[in-house]
Amino acid sequence: MRKNLSLILILCLSCLLFMGLKLEIDKVSRQKIPGSSIIYIPSGDYLKMATFGFSSLMADIVYIWAIQYFGNTAIPDKFDHFVHIFSIISELDPRYIDPYEVGALIALYDTKDVALSIKLLDMGFAKNPDLWIFPLEAGHYAQLYKKDFPLAREYYKKAMDVPGAPDIVKRLYANSAFKVMDIKTAWETWLEVYETAKEERVKKIASNHLYNIKATVDIRGLRSVLEKYRAKYGRFPDKLSGIVAAGLLPFIPKDYDNTDYVYDPKTGDVKTAVIPWKR
Amino acid sequence: MKTVLAIENVHKFFKVGFIPKKKEILKGVSFAVAESEIFGYLGPNGAGKTTTLKCILGLIFPDRGKIEIFGQPHLEPRAKERLGFLPENPYFYDYLTAREFLDFYAQLFRVKKNEREDRVASLLNLVGMGRARDLQLRKFSRGMLQRIGLAQALVNEPSLVLLDEPLGGLDPLGRKEIRDIIIRLKAEGKTVFLCSHILQDIEMICDRVAIIVDGKILSQGPLTDLISEKILFTEITLSGLAAKDLAGLGESLSAHGGRTLIKVFHEEKIQEILDLVKNRNAKIHSLIPRTQTLEDLFVEVVKSQ
Amino acid sequence: MTIKVIALNTFKEAVRDRILYLLLFFAALSILVSRILALLTVGDRAKIIKDVGLASISFFGALMAILIGTGLVYKEIEKRTIFTLISKPMRRHEFLLGKFFGLVLTLLVMLALMSVIFLALVFFHTFSVEWKMLLAILYIFIEVILITAVAILFSSFSTPILSSLFSLCFYLIGHFSWSLETLIKKIPAGIFKVLAQIVYTILPDLENFNFKTEVVHGLTIPPQVLLYSAAYGFLYTVFILSLAILVFRRRDFI
Repeated sequence: MRKNLSLILILCLSCLLFMGLKLEIDKVSRQKIPGSSIIYIPSGDYLKMATFGFSSLMADIVYIWAIQYFGNTAIPDKFDHFVHIFSIISELDPRYIDPYEVGALIALYDTKDVALSIKLLDMGFAKNPDLWIFPLEAGHYAQLYKKDFPLAREYYKKAMDVPGAPDIVKRLYANSAFKVMDIKTAWETWLEVYETAKEERVKKIASNHLYNIKATVDIRGLRSVLEKYRAKYGRFPDKLSGIVAAGLLPFIPKDYDNTDYVYDPKTGDVKTAVIPWKR
Repeated sequence: MKTVLAIENVHKFFKVGFIPKKKEILKGVSFAVAESEIFGYLGPNGAGKTTTLKCILGLIFPDRGKIEIFGQPHLEPRAKERLGFLPENPYFYDYLTAREFLDFYAQLFRVKKNEREDRVASLLNLVGMGRARDLQLRKFSRGMLQRIGLAQALVNEPSLVLLDEPLGGLDPLGRKEIRDIIIRLKAEGKTVFLCSHILQDIEMICDRVAIIVDGKILSQGPLTDLISEKILFTEITLSGLAAKDLAGLGESLSAHGGRTLIKVFHEEKIQEILDLVKNRNAKIHSLIPRTQTLEDLFVEVVKSQ
Repeated sequence: MTIKVIALNTFKEAVRDRILYLLLFFAALSILVSRILALLTVGDRAKIIKDVGLASISFFGALMAILIGTGLVYKEIEKRTIFTLISKPMRRHEFLLGKFFGLVLTLLVMLALMSVIFLALVFFHTFSVEWKMLLAILYIFIEVILITAVAILFSSFSTPILSSLFSLCFYLIGHFSWSLETLIKKIPAGIFKVLAQIVYTILPDLENFNFKTEVVHGLTIPPQVLLYSAAYGFLYTVFILSLAILVFRRRDFI
């Protein structure tokens, strides 16, 4: 027993010492090289080979690590390798949806760089052309954060073309087409939506949009003619019919519901009789 | 007589089975081995012979009791310095040659380098393995392994040698050689402690024995004390007398080829048979009195349990 | 003295174990395969070779330690060669330590061989002998020593298969210690957190011996870290060996 006593002493002592050392080493390592493991990240191809068929597990692990990494406020320039890291996850498990979506979100909130987010979503879509969610989200981000309607429109079209895309994509597409003043596409698309709508609600929405488009086009046209009238006669006509009388327009268009537009002779404003969305 | 090995009231439990149940293997074993004697340790299989041996050697730790070697607690390295051990069915590092093997053990005993060579050579000769000195142990036969094992047990010129079934697996010639070596060890003043099943050999060379059955020592003492000199019966082989003539004189064991073997229990009957043979002109081929052998004693002791 | 005798004998025994050469063969193979892998990259080929080479040495070194170490004591008990040894005037800890040092010596030789092949290959690519690599390999060796101690610990009371599994678990836990650290941050403060932190500090952190990245990229390593890591390895090894001796001492050899 006496022999064992000295041994147990050695045991406890060495244990305490190495525990202490470990805490010391942790401190040093973390201070000096934060995120140093990032320096050495092989490309996804190598990693895939190295994981012997556990690639989707590896994808999970890298993803979890990435979330921690990007959530770590202490690391500067952490977005330098953003695309690389997520492309690794993509290589390992292309069908893993979350990383693309969440990655895009992280990039957006941290860097406000919509292009970076969209890059990720592009990656996702490239690997999964059957998933409309990616271009849809890309379109969303483009529309919401950058107000970049042409870009949004592109993406909504992509999403729309994926078989199985929900109807709302079409509507978003039509809407963005309208926003870029691609009246023809907008009109056509809303018409399609109206005709193929299965619910009354959707039909109503479509008709509202169609109303709006017609109204916009009509009003624009009327306004430009009214300006011409003013240029010619020095003032706005008392009634809209005045334009027809002046021979500047063959007829006064009515709105989508066949109601007259409201005209204010003093300011030359033309408005719709009702708010399009509250018909 | 100096006591070389003293065991007092040794108990050992083992935990057996998946749900550990305590099984007592040694139930209070006590005996003593004196200097310069050959001590035989006998018992049926599973009685606890090897367990006792392992307790002595420090391979197993007894739960209760005391063991002393040369008057010192048995686990002291100083006690082990003068000990030699040959396990049952020995198995050694088979990639070593005989010479390397003995050299390795000699080193463990801190025999100096110059001495080592000589000692290894003499040991190899002693056990008759001189020719095989550069042969790898993996190529040794059972008998050869037994002999090299004995050599290993003697490498430190021990005062007490413990042998577990040293004669197992040897042909009759081999057994005789080992027996001779053991007797020679005694002549050199060494003490030998021997576990064996082969009772004839034990009877031939041991001075004292202990019989262990089911963890308890049932009988121990000098062989001469334990085995009575009393004649149990006499076996007579004769020819020329018919079975009916011998009726009542003894048990007829076999009768063929004209010869009858009869077992006579009473001494008077022997004289009667001798007279009968003389009167009838029959012939006696052999007359052998049988005393109690160790085997008889052994069976008797074991059966009494 | 006794330890030395057992150690040399163990070395002789281990060196004759065919598994060793099989693993050495595969290690050499993978080091050389890196040459082919390097052809796939655009840019610095030497990096791939160094990465794969160091990884192979680390992996196969650990594998050798586990596969041979777990059989070492167990074989002696199974084959009962241990009977003739323990019955000699040798303290039990001398036997265990002899086995340990014998295996460490064997692994030193093996790692040296692998290093030579590795450095030679690197030389062919960079035309310079990259001695810096040896720093990483030195710490791989320290890690392998620790793994050897663990293998011997398990070998003294468990079958080779189970021992290998346990040793492998030790290796994996050691390399994923960082993830436990991350997890602990999420635990709300309280008794659980303290307990978890204690567990975290006791569990081995084999990443402390991993300087492969730094060496390949030529980064400077603070000498503090080097010193502490070496000390950590030494102390943890002492800890494991003490544990092994404690277990081995009271063991009945049936």
